[in-house]
Amino acid sequence: MIGRRGWVSLGSVAAFLLLWFVLTSATGAISPGRFPSPADFWVSLKQIATRGYAGAPLLSHALQSLKLVIMGFAIAVATGVPLGLLMGWNRRAEAAINPIFLIIRPIPPLAWIPLAILWLGLGDAAKIMVIWFAAFVPSVINSYAGVRAIDRPIIEAARMLGTPRWRLVSEVIAPAASPMIFTGLRLSLQASWTTLVAAELVGALAGIGFVLNVAQQDIYPGMILVGMAAVGVLGWATTWLLGRAERRALAWNVAGRD
Amino acid sequence: MGSIRFDKVDKVFGPVSGGVKALDDINLEIGEKEFVAIVGPSGCGKTTCLRMVAGFEPPSSGTVSVNGKAVTAPGPDRAVVFQQFALFPWKTVRENIDLGLRNKNLPSGERGGLVAGALKLMNLESHADAFPHQLSGGMQQRVAIARAYVLDPDVLLMDEPFGALDAQTRVVMQEELVRLARVNPRTVLFITHAVEEAVYLADRVAIMTRRPGRIKEVLDVRSVRQAENWDRFEKIEDVMDLESFVHLRTHIWKSLREEKGAHGV
Repeated sequence: MIGRRGWVSLGSVAAFLLLWFVLTSATGAISPGRFPSPADFWVSLKQIATRGYAGAPLLSHALQSLKLVIMGFAIAVATGVPLGLLMGWNRRAEAAINPIFLIIRPIPPLAWIPLAILWLGLGDAAKIMVIWFAAFVPSVINSYAGVRAIDRPIIEAARMLGTPRWRLVSEVIAPAASPMIFTGLRLSLQASWTTLVAAELVGALAGIGFVLNVAQQDIYPGMILVGMAAVGVLGWATTWLLGRAERRALAWNVAGRD
Repeated sequence: MGSIRFDKVDKVFGPVSGGVKALDDINLEIGEKEFVAIVGPSGCGKTTCLRMVAGFEPPSSGTVSVNGKAVTAPGPDRAVVFQQFALFPWKTVRENIDLGLRNKNLPSGERGGLVAGALKLMNLESHADAFPHQLSGGMQQRVAIARAYVLDPDVLLMDEPFGALDAQTRVVMQEELVRLARVNPRTVLFITHAVEEAVYLADRVAIMTRRPGRIKEVLDVRSVRQAENWDRFEKIEDVMDLESFVHLRTHIWKSLREEKGAHGV
């Protein structure tokens, strides 16, 4: 059953598509050279899905982009979360790392792209590095904030129970900070996609960003829109998967449920 | 095992000069298996006394010792029951109770038996696999008490343990604690601002002044309880009606009111 709010949402999407159709195909208010009609979009989608575009079919481009995002994101999480936990827990580590972090943090991740290409060329490695830098920051900051926000009695309870240090981290501090850690992961994932597309736009031989770049050079609005939609779908799908993992991991956290 | 001693203890928060003096020359000895309650106006430093025994705070001067040894750090020989329960919300009831035993590196068979015993002691058997958020406040505090008892600690430190519970649950828990103390006597340091609770539970009641907290007087409740045979009653309200109980309660009330009066409240 679709509730009242469901119908409103559905109506809104229908109105949006209708507006798109009216402004392009029906009235020609927007010229096809500037923005594609629904029919143009469909033709472009069929072309890249079956015959391919920019050297490969849509699926290969999508998998290439997905692979880089997952690798960059995974490396960022695997390094960022432990560092954030360490900074949150250990005042000395915080004092040592924070200043360096504060200097590097304001540099937009995209500003690393030229250096990454210079070091690592146009292949996968440069893009993974840039994604890593971009996704690293939210993982660190939120893990750090998560530890700092832990209620003092929780830590004191663990201490009075004689919890050894490694177990304190793995069974008390990390789970207590995990709602914030997941917030960080969501932001990291978002940053991963943003950065990937930008990196592929600048220099790549495959991937969705490369498709966008080639379509721009070909002056092909239909294909540009297909590339944008593909990034949207992939971003939505990975975010959805992360949300599922979060709900499963935080089943104990009744306050965090929506 | 299980004596506690405060010897000329001062506590200053903030800088040594110009800081806030919370405790002033606290001297108190709690004997083995003795139940001592500290009452005092809010902000008098009674919780700080408990936190120093737990090892969460060092005294600014003087010594706090347990079994003749100065306290330096928290440990499972001094189990704490917190006002806000402080359970681990991501662990089930069983896992919460088990953590301290795992930390002692006991074999899992032995742990299972001890956890089962603690669950039974606190009537938690049907909730063993629930998460804390699925339980009422009273139930959560039962878990916290089970988690403390299962450690077989020398001393039990209870920091306003029933302060966050509603009135009815509170009474049930007080009666429960008296039952526990009979089955399984412990050295207990109990912090509260509820006068009846202190008189009902404790062997001795220490009354503190307002900040900087000093121990104003220590009342021997046990001799009265034994002389008047309070233990013949199961229910707290029956004990609270006794003249001897009312007398002690009124005495403490007056003593505390003097402290508030000095504040101008």
